[in-house]
Amino acid sequence: MSALDRRLKSTSGFYKNYVKRSYEDAHCAKAEKRPVAWVASTFPVETLQAMDIVPVWPENYASVCAARQVSVELCELAEREGFSRDLCSYSRCVLGSIFGSEKELPEGGLPRPDFLVATTSACDTHMKWFQVASRVYKVPFFVLDTPYNIGGGESEHLDKSHIDYYESQLSDLFDFLEKQTGAKFDRYKLSQTLALSSWTSRLWTEIQDLRRNIPCPMDARDAFSAVFFMLCLPGSQVAVDFYTQLRDELRQRVKEGIGVVENERFRLVWDNLPLWYNLRIFEYLNSLGAVVVAEVFSHTWTGTLDPDRPYESLARKYLPNMANSTIQRRVNIVLDLVKDFHVNGVILPTNWGCRMMSVGETIVKDAVYKKLGVQSLILDVDSSDWRVAGEAQVKERLATFLETLNR
Amino acid sequence: MEALQPFRKTLSDRHEAAKKWKSRNRPVVGWTCTYTPEEVIYAADALPVMVWGSLGETNLADAYMPSNSCSFARSCFNAALRGDYDYLEGFVESTSCDNREKTYDMWVNYSKVPNIYLINTPHMNTEQAHRFFHQEVVKFKEWMERTFKTQISDDSLNYAVGEYNKNRDFLRKIYDLKSKKPPVISGTEYLEIALAGLVMPKSEHNALMSRFLGEVEQRSDLPHDGLRLLVSGSVVDNTELVKLIESVGGTVVADDWCTGSRYFWNNVDLGSKDLLEAIARRYLNKVPSSFMYNREERFKHVKELAKRFDVDGVVMFVIKYCDTHMFDAPLLRDELKAMGLPVLYLEWEHSMSGFAGLKTRIEAFIEMVGGVK
Repeated sequence: MSALDRRLKSTSGFYKNYVKRSYEDAHCAKAEKRPVAWVASTFPVETLQAMDIVPVWPENYASVCAARQVSVELCELAEREGFSRDLCSYSRCVLGSIFGSEKELPEGGLPRPDFLVATTSACDTHMKWFQVASRVYKVPFFVLDTPYNIGGGESEHLDKSHIDYYESQLSDLFDFLEKQTGAKFDRYKLSQTLALSSWTSRLWTEIQDLRRNIPCPMDARDAFSAVFFMLCLPGSQVAVDFYTQLRDELRQRVKEGIGVVENERFRLVWDNLPLWYNLRIFEYLNSLGAVVVAEVFSHTWTGTLDPDRPYESLARKYLPNMANSTIQRRVNIVLDLVKDFHVNGVILPTNWGCRMMSVGETIVKDAVYKKLGVQSLILDVDSSDWRVAGEAQVKERLATFLETLNR
Repeated sequence: MEALQPFRKTLSDRHEAAKKWKSRNRPVVGWTCTYTPEEVIYAADALPVMVWGSLGETNLADAYMPSNSCSFARSCFNAALRGDYDYLEGFVESTSCDNREKTYDMWVNYSKVPNIYLINTPHMNTEQAHRFFHQEVVKFKEWMERTFKTQISDDSLNYAVGEYNKNRDFLRKIYDLKSKKPPVISGTEYLEIALAGLVMPKSEHNALMSRFLGEVEQRSDLPHDGLRLLVSGSVVDNTELVKLIESVGGTVVADDWCTGSRYFWNNVDLGSKDLLEAIARRYLNKVPSSFMYNREERFKHVKELAKRFDVDGVVMFVIKYCDTHMFDAPLLRDELKAMGLPVLYLEWEHSMSGFAGLKTRIEAFIEMVGGVK
């Protein structure tokens, strides 16, 4: 079976059919004067969906710019305005795009927001970056201040005061959204969105579980595309439809024993983000008989939402997010993945402009080796700024790592 | 000036006061963020000391923390790995920024300190945030009591807040000596006084400052009257930069550091019925650090300082890799320039590596501003 035949049918054309479409929809909404909001990840986006607000994701846009090989020149535009080269490359790239580029921007650029929403959950950068954007556009900005999940607990073991603080801000949020849009908050619509979001999560979990099979039916490249719905549009029918189709295809692949590669020699876990500007690196791994069978990123966004307790369940979904927790939570996720997915190596990419992703990888590496005897590779890169590490160097390190696993 | 010597001595033997305190069987608790409610530690008859790094390489820490992590946090962690802080019985970290959250992980996993606590610090000062932080301060008090097997009484809390407020009052008075023309003390001297207070008991620090204030107006050895500068930055734990500026013709008359003016600008309301609530409120309402949402208040503070201290220029000095200050920098720079102030923007490693290059840039800036003046 050729490599081409091994490619999944349901993810072919994903970018054009879904991601590109989402930007077209947002531009269209803007033209029709429907409300458009910029959102940062870990924000409970279901609240916007329930108010018919079109969410636009600058982080996703940065990854699009990286894939189109324009992220670095946009970063440089922000750097020229005084934003440090050591800041998050997503933020530099997007700020660069709004400071103005002479070239045509991918997908016509980000639509101008009517307002912005973010949390303090994943990182400091979300709030600081959106503060800059809010000033540039002179539009309001709502911040959901999120307590840090210190115990690293999962949703059933959260501190009551954390949930209370989060919930109290959700009611402020709905007041804010009503004021911004002139629309009324509709409890029934919220319930529907939460139900869809839970369904999306369940399907995504099933999809990930299918990747435990040997050979693994789906690679990181597809996962990093398909996770788009989990992050950006969880409470939507289109997400449910797509994930159902993908799950069914994977089931069939597993039944027929068709894997990503013909001879699967290495099963890897990939932490943090991919190199958006070089997703072919996963094909390079494939060419060496290695398949990324699980990404920590793909195991971060799920959660069950209870339409009868909407605020509380949103708190319980978003508070324990790995990015909002002590390193122990990431360690536990990686340990589980290594065990459950029959993994023999872990790739821990850092991200130059991101402290949350970069600091603590030694702790993960040590824990995985001590507990399970599995080796990890800390790879110094950046998700969107290729000036940080050259392709040859990255390939060389990956190949050397696989050789060590071979011994 | 004689009254300065005890501060200098404290700084040069920065662990001495803590070790002396500990020798009387009382615990020493380290902290790193100026949003740590130190009053609560002090009220438990424990000595709060700020954990600092040191200039130079951080080889030990580099094995665990990547080169793109906060160079101040890395330097502090390096000191811990070197054993400088083995005397600590407690270490308190704050969720104020990503780097600090990560520092907590590092200390928990690799340091020898037996008791480590992380305080959840909101990034806003809304009423809900105040309520939340109040509960966090209560929890922290309970942790102190449990960990060090003690009770924090209302009286001891009252005493601690009293000493801390007095400390802030003294610091403000001393700070203001630089508003005079020529300034009565140099920026280096002021910083020596202020930093010493972060590693010694406040009661002793207060006594020293009281003595200093009694003598300073009569001093005959006035410092060099240089170009009046404000330094805006993230954190400072040593006097190197200010010394450097003052060695090439500047005088640092005002600052915007978390361990500088932001540390003592606001007091706790001692008249409050619930002191823990008042403590929590004081911290969220103080001149904000850059991780707080209300950044305009910090900008306002800096601009007011620039006017009140009649500065000729501003040096913005951001320690790598402090995201929140880096994000604020372009806007703050523009606002200061709009006031007609020349601004030098520097991003530098805490280690001060490349010192010669730093000196050249500061010298050139001072020459340029001085020439125009």
